[in-house]
Amino acid sequence: MTPKPDSALLIVGHGSTVNPDSSTPNLERADEIALKQLFGEVHCVFWKEEPSMRQVLHLIDRDDIYVVPNFISEGYFTRTVIPRELELTGPVTQRDGRTFKYCEPVGNHARMTELLMRRAAEVAPGVPPSETTLFIVGHGTNLNDNSAAAAKREVEKIGQAGGYAEVFTSYMEEEPLISKWDQWATQPNVVVVPFFISDGLHSYQDIPVLLGIEQEITEAASQRSVFRNNPYHLRGRTLYYSSAIGTEPLFAEVILDQVAAFDQTHPA
Amino acid sequence: MKRNLNAALEAWLEQGFRQIGQIVIQPQENGYTLTHEADTDRTDLTPYTRPADARALSTLDEHGVFRPLKTAPTLKRGWKLSVPDLAQLRLTLDAFYPAMLGSFFSYQTGQLPAVPLRETLNRQSGMYAVTKKLTDTQANVLVGESCNSQSGCLKLVLWRISEETPVTSLPPSELDPAQSPQSNRRIPLLCAEACNLLVAKAREVVKRSAPPG
Repeated sequence: MTPKPDSALLIVGHGSTVNPDSSTPNLERADEIALKQLFGEVHCVFWKEEPSMRQVLHLIDRDDIYVVPNFISEGYFTRTVIPRELELTGPVTQRDGRTFKYCEPVGNHARMTELLMRRAAEVAPGVPPSETTLFIVGHGTNLNDNSAAAAKREVEKIGQAGGYAEVFTSYMEEEPLISKWDQWATQPNVVVVPFFISDGLHSYQDIPVLLGIEQEITEAASQRSVFRNNPYHLRGRTLYYSSAIGTEPLFAEVILDQVAAFDQTHPA
Repeated sequence: MKRNLNAALEAWLEQGFRQIGQIVIQPQENGYTLTHEADTDRTDLTPYTRPADARALSTLDEHGVFRPLKTAPTLKRGWKLSVPDLAQLRLTLDAFYPAMLGSFFSYQTGQLPAVPLRETLNRQSGMYAVTKKLTDTQANVLVGESCNSQSGCLKLVLWRISEETPVTSLPPSELDPAQSPQSNRRIPLLCAEACNLLVAKAREVVKRSAPPG
């Protein structure tokens, strides 16, 4: 990417009032991108933490601002909350002497498939995909969230790529429920990759209980010294559970790609 | 680029500003050293040297509890953070107190309009849409409990409950920068609009007061 010293990059994350694990991937990606010195400034803002979306005009010096939602899917946050809080009127918004360029959420990026497959391979080293059932877990339901559709799209693409004996979508709150994973998986090995941005409440604490690898909600990821003790021998299978896809450092490249894609679709 | 916060910060330091929130800023020959206001006389402080350390130091309080509100009066003690120049000082202070330097700059230049709480609540949707039902009386109690500088938040509340209703549950020193202590020495932490944490608490108040059924 050509450096943009007169532009700022704004990464928008959900954040959490409960633990720092939700905002951490956003802040890490911002640090990595800032080191590349491609933008005059790199900032994060959050829905539930500080700095908030409402503070952008005070946070950022530059007048030209690329806004990249670090969200898995288009939905309630990318279509309702972020535009409302940042007062965006479309892909390009002129506001208070600033230009906001609203990019696609990271989860829409074509590389998601590759990153999910890479994460699945990493978490189960030496385990043949031909004897493995892969689950991509999304949130499901929740207002007009399209996370279920995004997970389905990725599962179709992974299936087309071949390799895994079977690939399924599953969700926390709608069928097919991840809690019933053993009813779907026919293979001796099972790999589960959460299609979430962070190892927050859902992917680190809720899903492990639904899988059966924890009996009750554990402490947050940031409070534990050992991330996971893969593999788990459960319900007659060998199960591997990865960290959320959004913790993948390559998301920094995806964020930059979304900026480049914006420039291609909206030439100055 | 119309704004230049580094230049503004330099000017504030020249004017004698030496504190922001719970942090004391001490100019040195080769940069700046920051400490907790209660630690200025201590000699056993753990040294840090990177702006990124500010994030780690401000994430949890001294009991290990997460601090989603960076301006809560719970910054932990025992550290000393030294940076070599103004640019890194700004990054460090932005990590400790996100957007607060910029908010003060906007305030000084007449660009920090305060948004009444009613306006903030009325635009909420989804699970927070119910906060529209918060009464002015409930709002004032909530603000007094949640935004006070002793146990809630160190920001000065610039907004009103509504155009007609002021905040009456906080002392003038927590509402007006001119009336806050050491206003010629402290970079004020300014709140121009209720945060999501307060909106979330407003939701709890409304839910609790809703008639059963």
